[in-house]
Amino acid sequence: MRGKQVIKLTVNGEPYEVEVEPHMTLLEVLRDKLNLTGTKGSCGVGECGTCTVLVDGKPFLSCLTLAITVRDKNILTIEGLARDKKLHILQKAFLEHGAVQCGFCTPAMLLTAKALLDENPNPTREEIREYISGVLCRCTGYVKIIEAIMSAAEEIRRRGSEYE
Amino acid sequence: MVRVLTPFEYFEPKTVEEASNLLRDYGEKVRVLAGGVDLLARIRRREIQVEGLVCIQRIPGLDYVRQDSEGLKIGALTTLRTLERSQEVRENYRLLFDAIHSIHSIQVKNMGTAVGNLCIATPASDVAVSLLALDAQMKIAGPSSERSMPLENFYLGVKRTALQPGELVTGILVPPLPKGSFGAFMKLVRTATDIAKVNVAVRATLRNGGCEEVRIALGSVAPTIVRARKAEEALRGTRLEREAVVEAAERAAEEVNPITDIRSTAEYRREMVKVLTRRAVEKIKVEAGVKG
Amino acid sequence: MSEFSWVGKPHPPLKMEGVPKVTGEAIYTVDVKLPGMLVGKILRSPHPHAKILRIDKSKAERLPGVKAVLTFEDIPKVKYASSFRDMPMATSGTLQPPDQYVLTDKARYVGDPVAAVAAVDEYVAEEALKLIEVEYEPLPAVFTIDDALKPDAPQIHDHAKGNIAAHVKYPFAQGDVEKGFAEADCVVEGTFFVPRQVGAHLEPQACTAYVDPTGKVTVWSPCQLTFPLRRELAKIFSLPEGMINVVTPFVGGSFGTRLSLYCEPIAIALAMKTGKPVKIVHSKEEDFSTLETRTADRVTVKAGFKKDGTLIAMQMKVYTWAGAYAARAYLAGPILLMWGLGHYRCPNTDGECFVVYTNTTPAGAMRGYGNPEASTVVEQIMDMAAEKLGIDPVELRLKNVKKAGEPSNLGPCPIESTYEDECIRIGAERIGWWEKRKLKKQEGVKRRGLGMAAMMHCSGAWPLLIEHSSAMIKFNEDGSVNMIINPAFPGTHCWTTLAQIAAEELGISPEDVHVVTGSTDTAMFDLGSHASRTTYVTGNAVLEAAREAKRQLLERASKMLGVSPEELTVKDGRVFVKADPSKGLTIGEIARSTIWDLKGESFNISGKASWSSRYSSPPTGAYFTEVEVDTETGEVKVLKFVVVIDCGRVINPMTVEGQIQGGISQGIGYALYEDYVINKKTGVVESDNFNTYRIATNYEMPEEIEIIFINKPDPKGPFGAKGVGEPAMVGVAAAIANAVYDAIGVRLRELPITPEKILKALKEKEKG
Ligand SMILES: Cc1cc2nc3c(=O)[nH]c(=O)nc-3n(C[C@H](O)[C@H](O)[C@H](O)COP(=O)(O)OP(=O)(O)OC[C@H]3O[C@@H](n4cnc5c(N)ncnc54)[C@H](O)[C@@H]3O)c2cc1C
Repeated sequence: MRGKQVIKLTVNGEPYEVEVEPHMTLLEVLRDKLNLTGTKGSCGVGECGTCTVLVDGKPFLSCLTLAITVRDKNILTIEGLARDKKLHILQKAFLEHGAVQCGFCTPAMLLTAKALLDENPNPTREEIREYISGVLCRCTGYVKIIEAIMSAAEEIRRRGSEYE
Repeated sequence: MVRVLTPFEYFEPKTVEEASNLLRDYGEKVRVLAGGVDLLARIRRREIQVEGLVCIQRIPGLDYVRQDSEGLKIGALTTLRTLERSQEVRENYRLLFDAIHSIHSIQVKNMGTAVGNLCIATPASDVAVSLLALDAQMKIAGPSSERSMPLENFYLGVKRTALQPGELVTGILVPPLPKGSFGAFMKLVRTATDIAKVNVAVRATLRNGGCEEVRIALGSVAPTIVRARKAEEALRGTRLEREAVVEAAERAAEEVNPITDIRSTAEYRREMVKVLTRRAVEKIKVEAGVKG
Repeated sequence: MSEFSWVGKPHPPLKMEGVPKVTGEAIYTVDVKLPGMLVGKILRSPHPHAKILRIDKSKAERLPGVKAVLTFEDIPKVKYASSFRDMPMATSGTLQPPDQYVLTDKARYVGDPVAAVAAVDEYVAEEALKLIEVEYEPLPAVFTIDDALKPDAPQIHDHAKGNIAAHVKYPFAQGDVEKGFAEADCVVEGTFFVPRQVGAHLEPQACTAYVDPTGKVTVWSPCQLTFPLRRELAKIFSLPEGMINVVTPFVGGSFGTRLSLYCEPIAIALAMKTGKPVKIVHSKEEDFSTLETRTADRVTVKAGFKKDGTLIAMQMKVYTWAGAYAARAYLAGPILLMWGLGHYRCPNTDGECFVVYTNTTPAGAMRGYGNPEASTVVEQIMDMAAEKLGIDPVELRLKNVKKAGEPSNLGPCPIESTYEDECIRIGAERIGWWEKRKLKKQEGVKRRGLGMAAMMHCSGAWPLLIEHSSAMIKFNEDGSVNMIINPAFPGTHCWTTLAQIAAEELGISPEDVHVVTGSTDTAMFDLGSHASRTTYVTGNAVLEAAREAKRQLLERASKMLGVSPEELTVKDGRVFVKADPSKGLTIGEIARSTIWDLKGESFNISGKASWSSRYSSPPTGAYFTEVEVDTETGEVKVLKFVVVIDCGRVINPMTVEGQIQGGISQGIGYALYEDYVINKKTGVVESDNFNTYRIATNYEMPEEIEIIFINKPDPKGPFGAKGVGEPAMVGVAAAIANAVYDAIGVRLRELPITPEKILKALKEKEKG
């Protein structure tokens, strides 16, 4: 198959039909076709994790995923994390704990952290370190990111909800 | 350098046979796309040129991990993460678990398949080194036939495998482990998420305190992953006494042929083969409760 | 209770500064999108040194979708300096020599821009680059300081004989070093190599340019120095400054790399040619191979001490490994001398620096601007001296640190405040220095060591550079203010810190400070964000502007309340009589009646100020670390860091902690992992992405980090604050290097301290 093709994607709960070419990455399609520029690109070799989105709930590198291969799947990008104008507790915790500096890794960190908490609502510090290790951050030294995830996990457990 | 991939044709076969026919028809011009982690990065960096990709992701029946009397069976689409989370792997094939667990990026493990990892044919693969120690078999399908081959014979050189035109790997079989099996995996990296400067996997069968059988696999120290056969000999039949272990480690270091690259130097790698081999065997001794 | 409402309290980022970053709405330069926008791409030289004999762009121009192809022939032949000609050294008035063309006819490193295209998309642009035919005449190239200095070395620039871009003598030399060494009881000497370091911010370098039909140029750029950038662009294109607007979106990390000018002029030239907006985004490989790195330097230090540890003579000779263009290496090298020779009190000092051109990626500044380099060398020399003298390293430093009133490290301007001695004492205690250093050295495979480094940096670069910032504050009817500033915002959350300063003075909440920023057209002059200056310099401008606004507010209130302004104060959004707090008005009431004055005396309560800093308030500090070295594998694990920081009064402890934790991760990378590898034969950068160039992941961070603030106000900083951004990483690598020595008794004279180098050194030591 060559040339353009229309595929269906569900992004942040919204159904989309987009015209893609086979060589287009999910990153390109999200940013250039759907105008969802919250997903960032950086290294293009899988090393920095900046382009992470959740595909059917799992952290994926959108820069190394062909859009055509994830057709009909559920994609969550950073734009879909807050709901009804309410921040996700992880988002709030990142701000309150100073876990955000330049913010360029933040969408990837948040989505990776969400996948972790969905999988394991009560992670240890070590499990958090392990799970987020595929996302690089040049600003924070990771300390406050880990603190923020610990605290958000606790709050989500306490509330029984990811939102306030 | 560019930020985008080159345009290519895209095939999505529904069966292994269809995939294999495409591979046969197009030959060198196309590649199998599994998770894409390695392949797409290389295409973007223009390290390889492709005219088409044969995406096997939607072929049914290739995503499994199960254990039966023949051993542990892994499909071509089984991701590293699936293996890491599999109870069979964690409990019964600890050596493989440890190797996969040492890969830190959750993203890479969610997308990357074990078979894809092996098919890159890099000597640095942690998965390959552990599976070599475990004597894994590659299940291969061609246009008209299927065959299987020990992983040990699968590599011909850097980025070169024994796959023939039209062939693809459909799965991996890890034979059952005999009673008294122990394993140890070790690697050295620059930073935690890096690929190995050197990695070592040792699997040994111990009976009554004696080493009945042992396989030592080494990575990143030759054009392909290698077995340290002379080192194995030095251990086989011993009670893993300190002298035997030291002797094996020395021999292992002599058997390898490392190079200097951006990750490390030849000299260091050779030295580390010695250290890691010794440490791996020592770890097995501790686990097996072997004294001395 | 604190005397302050906002200063000194941890404050999460202002909503406008933080929320867009967690929701994905923050627009970075790479996200800028305009109608009709084209994609720009740069053709870069594959040769390290080559004359361009011929360029044929006709095929590229004919490719459908290509809108412009430019070579050096299409671009104003004006030389520029990537680090801006108009950043004069205030002390000497020296200007940086322009030595670079936007597109060159002679390539001087692998990656030098030789042509550029604008096309409808990235695919067409890439195709077009392939169709540009360039005939090169390769020239012999030099990649190292030593090769560039050989008598028969190829000349990289006509103006620079022997490839010396600059030869600078230490401008603040004192006494007579030779006499000093003669009088010394102990002399230590050593030559060290400190390597390049890549900023490695995650957001790739990018720029969008648009030229409107009136000729006005708008440039979206992540540059940290927007006004200097505007001035340099004006010179390149012979435009008045007012015809250029530099817009700064959110910035995905800077770390000094973004002090300089990169693809901006190319984007502008393409936009001029096509009449369309043009966006250029680097690949990360382009970033790693063409953006300025921290300079590498070969530094020889000689230091003489009296028996009691008093430092009496110090001499430094620096060879700075600049790249193909002088860039920021021109300043970073010579400033290394000042950090190194100016840190400790010393009556006899002398030094010189040679900045050497090579056919490699331009080098420049990164966080600390020469100070991590100087610290790595001088702090190791201090330890070497301590050992030779039989004095504890902590004591040796305490003996020699400067006191307030003595000349600062950057020149004769006196130090306004320093608590370096206190930092050292507290740090030593917290890490258990005295107990742990006393323990007998271990003999096992894994050995632990303790190390330290003391630090003195700067808050803005006065008296070296002009330090000018401005701010405007105006009241809205609701009692909130707009604060108009433009210091660039690389992620330090400086809007928040500056809003805390304004809010404290104005008696309002920081969330009622609406920041207006982001372009040179809207804001008054601000030099930008460098040299740990924003809180200290822009902060003072904000404070002055707030004071003026407050004066007007109280004056107006005094008329409304019928009391004198001196009797009034403002807190929590309300102006009231000090003696009778029940008598008062909300700021909103005052502001509204002033803007909508029915008597026809309307005005907008506001304040504006320019602050031109003429003070030196160096932040100081001490770094202590404990490491574990595996003597069989050579691996170093950093177990613990204690950082004691005197950055004046801490305005926002949360952001300052964040700076220090980030500084530790960059310092650990610099010390142990980050290795900029240039192929010795081809000049190609091999460490061209995050897989080959390793920065610290969360696993490389120590389990334990303790951060202690001295928190004593500086007399000149706003509310007593000093800088902290760069200091956060200055002493990290030095402390690690000293700890490694303490653990295994070998001193590596070259960073990064890799396992390979450690094992080699241990073997050599064994051989004796
Ligand atoms: C950041 C990062 C860190 C990593 N760290 C490690 C590490 O620590 N240790 C380690 O071992 N690995 C590591 N890897 C490698 C990673 O595990 C592999 O890239 C991944 O598993 C490849 O699997 P894939 O399914 O994505 O393969 P793809 O990229 O899809 O394919 C890889 C190659 O194999 C071929 N291929 C794939 N499937 C088949 C098949 N069934 N038959 C024939 N040919 C096939 C493809 O044509 C291609 O040439 C790392 C990678 C990254 C990006």
